[in-house]
Amino acid sequence: MTGSSPPGAADSPRGFLTGSRSTAGSPAVFAMLLGLPVLLWQIIFFAGPLVFLVVITFWQVKSFRLSPAFVADNWEKVLTSTAFLRALGHTLTVAGTTTVLATAIALPAAYTIAFRLSPRLRDFAVAFLVVPVFSSYILRIYAWQVVLSPQGVINGIAGLIGVEPLPLLGGAFSLQIGLLTLTLPIAVLILTFGFAGVDRTLIEAAENLGCRRGRVVAHVLLPAIRPAIALAATTSFLLAFGDYVSPLFMTGSKPPTLSIVVVDTVKSGSQWPRASVVGVSMLLILVAVLALGQVLSRRTRLRRGGR
Amino acid sequence: MATRILPRLSRLAQHLFLAGLFVFIAAPMLVIVVFSFDANRFPTIPWGGFSLEWHRAILEDAMVRDAFLNSILVGLGTAVLSTLLGFAAAYVDYRWRFFGKRAFVLLVAIPPAVPVTILGMAMLAFLSRLGLFGRLEAVIACHTAVASSFSMALIRLRLNDFGRDLEPAAWNLGASHAAALFTVVVPFCRPALIASFFLSAAVSFDEFMIAWFVGGVHETIPVRILNLLQGQVNPKINAIGTVVLAVSIVLVVLAQWFVGVRVGKRADPT
Repeated sequence: MTGSSPPGAADSPRGFLTGSRSTAGSPAVFAMLLGLPVLLWQIIFFAGPLVFLVVITFWQVKSFRLSPAFVADNWEKVLTSTAFLRALGHTLTVAGTTTVLATAIALPAAYTIAFRLSPRLRDFAVAFLVVPVFSSYILRIYAWQVVLSPQGVINGIAGLIGVEPLPLLGGAFSLQIGLLTLTLPIAVLILTFGFAGVDRTLIEAAENLGCRRGRVVAHVLLPAIRPAIALAATTSFLLAFGDYVSPLFMTGSKPPTLSIVVVDTVKSGSQWPRASVVGVSMLLILVAVLALGQVLSRRTRLRRGGR
Repeated sequence: MATRILPRLSRLAQHLFLAGLFVFIAAPMLVIVVFSFDANRFPTIPWGGFSLEWHRAILEDAMVRDAFLNSILVGLGTAVLSTLLGFAAAYVDYRWRFFGKRAFVLLVAIPPAVPVTILGMAMLAFLSRLGLFGRLEAVIACHTAVASSFSMALIRLRLNDFGRDLEPAAWNLGASHAAALFTVVVPFCRPALIASFFLSAAVSFDEFMIAWFVGGVHETIPVRILNLLQGQVNPKINAIGTVVLAVSIVLVVLAQWFVGVRVGKRADPT
């Protein structure tokens, strides 16, 4: 979002300064002074750790101690183990399901927010949705546990009516509830901003040409917000794929997802290289998914340019 | 007749759907607050009557108090550092063009996109080699690496509205780069800086994986909650949760208030 330089970036101070000596200090030095701390910080506390994680995947464990080496042993062991492959398949299925559900639920909701609510209500809806993105995810999962558990709120109500306790917790259903709690607010936000950014004249033109609302949505709105749909879907996938809390508390980590495998392997002590292999594999999959999302949204841009 | 009723029904359905979604999102938070005042040990229906017992109990729990204190320290540290770094990154991106700028911006922007499980594990592995593991400072440093992405985004967005000529005008009048930065750019960015402060505090206050991996024995409040949840049913969790929820919501709402989130900006001029 901040990647592209602004339109006016060309008038950089360097070009400007050639004419005036009045500014103290060289802008290059000043830029370094501001930029270097940021660069170093992100290298030491973000990029460094990730690079080191890749390095560890080639290390060995000798008598319970991690020792530098260059062996493909860990990769071979992990990638051929059925436990890993099963967890990978499960995680992909779960994250894929969440992506489809979150996008399908978020689309009509975002449409309603963007086109059916008054500006004040719209701003309120967005403000409301931003809160859960930045707060208390574990707590909300715990609350679902309370609601869904065998002695929980729903079964408490069911019991009052005389219905047998329902096994709500501990399956694919509760897992999706948990993951949707994580993904829906942000998916709705992304799509709402997507819809709000659509040029209204396009919609009016389609309506003037006699399109019903359904056709406007299918032929004007959805193509126009394709980048937003791709972003909402990839974000949902990313969050669901890497999540640790929902699988742990909603299904009791049975079957385990890759995040569970990572944490369990790290906690068990000496198998850092194998945990790193799982972690790096997860990152590679996410990079592939993000690239796919980019391709999906870029294709529209090309088409638009060709019009 | 039917042609008029159908669109109305469709609108009604849309509103009901949206209302249902909002209930789905708000319900968990309400559940925590409501049951924190429940006298029962196990939260369920029927309600056991109003009680402040659990709220009182958390005040007497030394581990919970320590965790809160740690969270406040980590949150404040992260908020300050992340806002400073985020501002520097946003300003560098705004002001200069240089080789590798895209990589520079990405390095700040992408940390939130990496699953915290992997990030936490990687940070633990790396920092324990540097001897930084198991300290609150390490948690602050790692939280800052993640939260500065949001800070940069907020401040960069604000800088988009900053007149390109204002700074050169200050330079022409003899101000140094530093003087112009502090007297022209920083005051203009103030709302975004304040918003960034609150938002990064919220991000840190909510984060548990990195804090869990890197913090060692120093638990922050979400880590304490995570550990409590893995034990037996503990009625204190609802009370802790209510306090945590209140803090996070206040932080996020304050951040939004200073940014002034508007959806309609681009849509309205039609």
